[in-house]
Amino acid sequence: MKIEVKKNILARNDTAAAENRERLSQEGVCMINLMASPGAGKTSVIMKAIESLSDRYAMAVIEGDIASEIDSLAIEAVNIPALQINTGGSCHLTASMISSALDHLDLDSLDLVIVENVGNLVCPAEFDLGETGRVMIASITEGHDKPHKYPAIFKKVDAILVNKIDLLPYCDFDMSNFHDVVEGLNPDGAIIELSCKDGYGTDEWCNWMEAAISECKTRLSS
Amino acid sequence: MHEYAITESILEIVQSEAGEAGAKRVDEVKVVIGELSSFAGSSIEFYFEELSLGTIAEGARLVFEKREAKATCCACGSGFRPRNAFYSCPTCGSRLFELKQGQELYVDSIEVE
Repeated sequence: MKIEVKKNILARNDTAAAENRERLSQEGVCMINLMASPGAGKTSVIMKAIESLSDRYAMAVIEGDIASEIDSLAIEAVNIPALQINTGGSCHLTASMISSALDHLDLDSLDLVIVENVGNLVCPAEFDLGETGRVMIASITEGHDKPHKYPAIFKKVDAILVNKIDLLPYCDFDMSNFHDVVEGLNPDGAIIELSCKDGYGTDEWCNWMEAAISECKTRLSS
Repeated sequence: MHEYAITESILEIVQSEAGEAGAKRVDEVKVVIGELSSFAGSSIEFYFEELSLGTIAEGARLVFEKREAKATCCACGSGFRPRNAFYSCPTCGSRLFELKQGQELYVDSIEVE
């Protein structure tokens, strides 16, 4: 006997993501899903945002890793609430993992939640978490060809941070080719060149983040 | 590797549908995958074999139907089949287009006894 099913396989995740988005929008909270390869500088970029924004905005961080608490301990050391999700082998966070994490946060007193996704350029792009904005990091040491190899993630984000720009003189990274390809894939995405090491461009990144926080608050009041 | 989570969802859908129909066994599961979705049928097959052990779907055949990508150019309105993420309209060269088909991922039907 044949049974017609016609059921979307990602439906369960999409439903949980929509619920997360609704919870965040009711409180006017901005949630950024930060994605990148392992070692691109996700935690360093978050630290820069904390340094610049935590005196004006109430922040929390959700850390996704296959194992360990190294990142959440680093965030807690600068007095920002951090929740660690250990996926135990899974290569990405899902909306239901974020839903459980949000249960532990006092959303009505928060302005910004940054989610550090598992280091990976493939899987995180496929799973909506209910975030209000998506940001990815491409670092100089990874090479300028990554948008060719992982186009899906470059297409789906609102901003692309080009980190480790201080290493540009030592690497064969073709910046103009990178810009051409990324702008072709994602004409509306902001490209921000920065270095967490020497601080170059981190103001632009924090301004972008501040605009994202304001947009979520404006949406709430209207 | 994200196919693991996808396969769990497929199995959940199959178990629930087969359970509702009072089936004893699932013989076949048909999954539609758009050619621009980034899911590999061979990985789903690999996980399905493992995850379905001891369930009503153990031993079921997985059949994948590829759905061809279709797009409409936002500039000149012509229709075309984008082959990858770097496509541009073959008629006018514009990179702005609306994807009409090709990103599907759903369980189409199951065959049960």
